[in-house]
Amino acid sequence: MPDVLIADDSDFMRNLLREILEEDHNIVGEVENGVEAVETYKEEEPDLVMMDIVMPIRDGIEATDEIKTASPDANVIMCTSVGQEKKMKEAVKAGADGYITKPFQKPSVMEAIADVVPS
Amino acid sequence: MKVDIQSLGAFNRLTHEGAEQATASMCRMTGLDAVVDVTKISLVDRADVGEQLAGGEFVGVGFDFEGELAGETALVFDRESSETIAEALVPGSAADEAMARSSVEEIGNIMMSGFIDGWADFLGATIEHSPPEYVEGSGRDVLPAPSGEAATVEGPDAFEGIEHGDAAGSGEGASAAGGSLDQVFVFRSEIEWVGESVHFYIYMLPEYGPLADVMSNQASAADGAIPVDKLGVFNEMTSDGTQRAADNVEMMTGIETEAEVTQLSFAPIEDVPKQVGTDIYVGTVVEFTGVPSGYLMVLFDEVSAVHIAEAMMPVEMDSDELTDQHKHAIEELGNIVTSGFVDGWANVLQTPVEHTPPRLVHDMGRAIVDPLAAQVGRHQDHAFLIDSEMRTDDIAFGAEIQVLPDEKELRQALDELLVERADRTEADVERVFE
Repeated sequence: MPDVLIADDSDFMRNLLREILEEDHNIVGEVENGVEAVETYKEEEPDLVMMDIVMPIRDGIEATDEIKTASPDANVIMCTSVGQEKKMKEAVKAGADGYITKPFQKPSVMEAIADVVPS
Repeated sequence: MKVDIQSLGAFNRLTHEGAEQATASMCRMTGLDAVVDVTKISLVDRADVGEQLAGGEFVGVGFDFEGELAGETALVFDRESSETIAEALVPGSAADEAMARSSVEEIGNIMMSGFIDGWADFLGATIEHSPPEYVEGSGRDVLPAPSGEAATVEGPDAFEGIEHGDAAGSGEGASAAGGSLDQVFVFRSEIEWVGESVHFYIYMLPEYGPLADVMSNQASAADGAIPVDKLGVFNEMTSDGTQRAADNVEMMTGIETEAEVTQLSFAPIEDVPKQVGTDIYVGTVVEFTGVPSGYLMVLFDEVSAVHIAEAMMPVEMDSDELTDQHKHAIEELGNIVTSGFVDGWANVLQTPVEHTPPRLVHDMGRAIVDPLAAQVGRHQDHAFLIDSEMRTDDIAFGAEIQVLPDEKELRQALDELLVERADRTEADVERVFE
């Protein structure tokens, strides 16, 4: 099963993502901000990061940039409520491999993961 | 037509003072104690005029007026308080229907004459008004249908079909047809009967043409005048944002949710907290930065908050009280609703609008809004307020979205708004990630 790191400041959303993913994925960490996301990525080197954008301390785009700079092969899917085109372009520039807008349902999450991490 | 902030401020003050004068007349005649609570000018879809009266039975008086300014105005009391007023005027009259009606007509005549005279004096012109017409009805049906042409002039393809002056007296259905823009200015004062939970209302529904002339004359050629068509288009973008918010709520909860009233209002800063009232709310506050910056609140009454959070939970909580899990769910919902709202502006204006993570609030409405209004009030005397509502018939659930943008930045955003882009509120993820 692919290892997944969930980065979202919302307790509710982390729970929801865990429930969607845990059947087919190994959740290696759940973090609440971009700094923790970078640290946990370095420690766990998961196959995939599900990354929120709006988070305290460091946002998901900055964290993605840092992760992808250090590990260009990292897989990061932005999993966010932000639906602004400029933000999406920033996410692409930071190296995001996919983008899901909240609210989402399990099929759209699985589809996005399949695009980024083919089984 | 352009309006500037100063003339909107002057119109708001004039409406408020007119309402105060009308209220003072009533207090002198009846010995009752009442104060003007809130006065605001709103740009609202024609079909939504008087939505605040929903659920009540009202009586009052209506007038047509014409001259430098033309249109309709109405003073409406809920039926019960009108009986108290009639009794105060002529003891024993409440039981006599004809006498009660005559009392309402007379007091309405005196109150509203003062109101209209104030406008005439301000404009240095004569405004004639018709004899008072007794009106009664449920909810907004008690109000006259706003007549005259709509406030907006041009829009993008999605908004084509804007009504132009053909809706006299029949506006209710006009905006529903084809989703076209059909917005009117409404001047509204809410009067509170001191010590009683009773309010009554003065509505003024000016016709667009004469109002446009008056506004143009009042607006200096100076900076900061806002083209009214852009205000209308912005209002429509906000409506889209509310619809997106309702769609998101529906997706997260499975509860069919409708976007209801959306209006752009202008009010003095000190009146802003009064818009929300004294009920207890649960919701989220975020600060957004960019052009414009400001605050956005997503507020649920306590019962709605529990219902909506329950519906979001993967497992049934079955609790009447708000638990931490409910609060986390509300926070996330607030986050998603906020994004749905501001993303549309960002995409149309082609500028990023950032927002902070949502902060959970659980307090009296005014206590939630007070510190935000104080913050915005450091730089401005008046505020634009964006007020949207969502409702559903499935369960008891209602939500309000209140936005308090920085006035100067909103003006700048409107200045930069390209009307032809106004329907491009949604970004295409697949295209960006190609």
